[in-house]
Amino acid sequence: MNSPLTIEPVFHIGPVPITSPVLVTWALMALIGGFAFLATRRLQIVPSKTQASLEALVSAIDTQISDTMQVDPSPYRALVGTIFIYVLFANWSSLVPGIEPPTAHIETDAALALIVFGATIAYGIATQGLIGYLRTFAEPTWVMIPLNIVEQITRTFSLIVRLFGNIMSGVFVVGIVLSLAGLLVPIPLMALDLLTGAVQAYIFAVLATVFIGAAVGERRKTTRETTQTERKTP
Amino acid sequence: MHIDLWTLGLQTINVLVLVWILGRFFFRPVTAMIAARQVAATEALDEAQAAKAEAAAEVAKAKEEAASLTAARTDILQKAVAEAEKEKAALLAAARTEAKTLRDAAHADIDRARQSEEMAEADHACRLAVDIAARLFEKLPAEARVMSFIDGLVAGVAALPDATRTGIGADGVPVCIKAARDLTEAEKEACRAKLAQTLGRPISVAVAVDPVLIAGLEIDTPHAVVRNSFRADLDRIAAGLTRHDH
Repeated sequence: MNSPLTIEPVFHIGPVPITSPVLVTWALMALIGGFAFLATRRLQIVPSKTQASLEALVSAIDTQISDTMQVDPSPYRALVGTIFIYVLFANWSSLVPGIEPPTAHIETDAALALIVFGATIAYGIATQGLIGYLRTFAEPTWVMIPLNIVEQITRTFSLIVRLFGNIMSGVFVVGIVLSLAGLLVPIPLMALDLLTGAVQAYIFAVLATVFIGAAVGERRKTTRETTQTERKTP
Repeated sequence: MHIDLWTLGLQTINVLVLVWILGRFFFRPVTAMIAARQVAATEALDEAQAAKAEAAAEVAKAKEEAASLTAARTDILQKAVAEAEKEKAALLAAARTEAKTLRDAAHADIDRARQSEEMAEADHACRLAVDIAARLFEKLPAEARVMSFIDGLVAGVAALPDATRTGIGADGVPVCIKAARDLTEAEKEACRAKLAQTLGRPISVAVAVDPVLIAGLEIDTPHAVVRNSFRADLDRIAAGLTRHDH
């Protein structure tokens, strides 16, 4: 068994080494993208079972975003929904024999966390402006600026480490048990990995939503206060 | 621990590409379909609401028409009842009038019947009384049936107008005396003598027997009749009794 902390390129495209997480991610992209393309080609007003399931998934994602951020979910739906779906299928890809989930490698988790970090900044600036967003670091006082900056970095690292640790440990444990015991012994652990993978996907998506929501939240609060002031004014 | 930056970059790009793919080919069409369904549901609800409102309006209109029809029916019924009452009253009045007329006519008929019955009974009683009297008079003596009536006959002749009296027994024509039986010569002579004295000239007499007279004498002339007999008396009595002046 290879160490989960090391990664070896499968092949190179020019100077670019292509590693197994990238290959698996490409396969997942093809699988998810192809299914999405095929499933949404003939949508009907009266839905089929597949369409109803997809609509239920989208509605659940929208509901989660709305409940967490208290805003219209449409600007954030694609990012949060894609993160949830990708992480879920990446975690569950360990069920395929010989496939190591991309999220069991820290590069993939770091990529996801970096995207969330970038999205947080982008959405914050988009809703509050650059000055307004930077001003949020001085909340509640300017003394909190270093802490707020550190918080931005640490919570991103927490995203990386949480997902990486949970998935990597599951893969590692299953690999150790598989090398020590028979063929059927790891099955309960694999079932547990399914649950862990779903929960981690949900947690990662929800935390991404929370972070983005926190970035746009100050603007939301300011808007709400302005509206209440206007209502009180005769 | 070593982080492969190439892998990190490629994975970042991969995830961003997947975000674009799913956003373009999954989330957008699905949310568009959800929105389209919501619009369709809203339109269907609006149409249902409009149809419901229309149905409610139709129901209200129908109720209004039903109320109008009921009012018209009630009005017609009331008019019909009033007309029937009026017709009934007219018929009753006509029937009462007709019944009164019939009752009056019946009463009049009954009265007339009773009167004619009473008259018939009275006639019958008179005739019975006259018959009884006639039978009683037949038991009188023969002399009494003539002699006692001569003076009355002469008085009747004397009461006649002069012209009529002059014509009696004139030109030798015998005076016809009717009696219930044939007169004796003495009776004829007594009659002739008293008549001659009354008329003031001599006359002759002829006797005509008529048993119907019962008793008494009568003289028939072309212009007058002098009657002094029981028959004449009984006829007068009967006429008096049967006269219905009431």
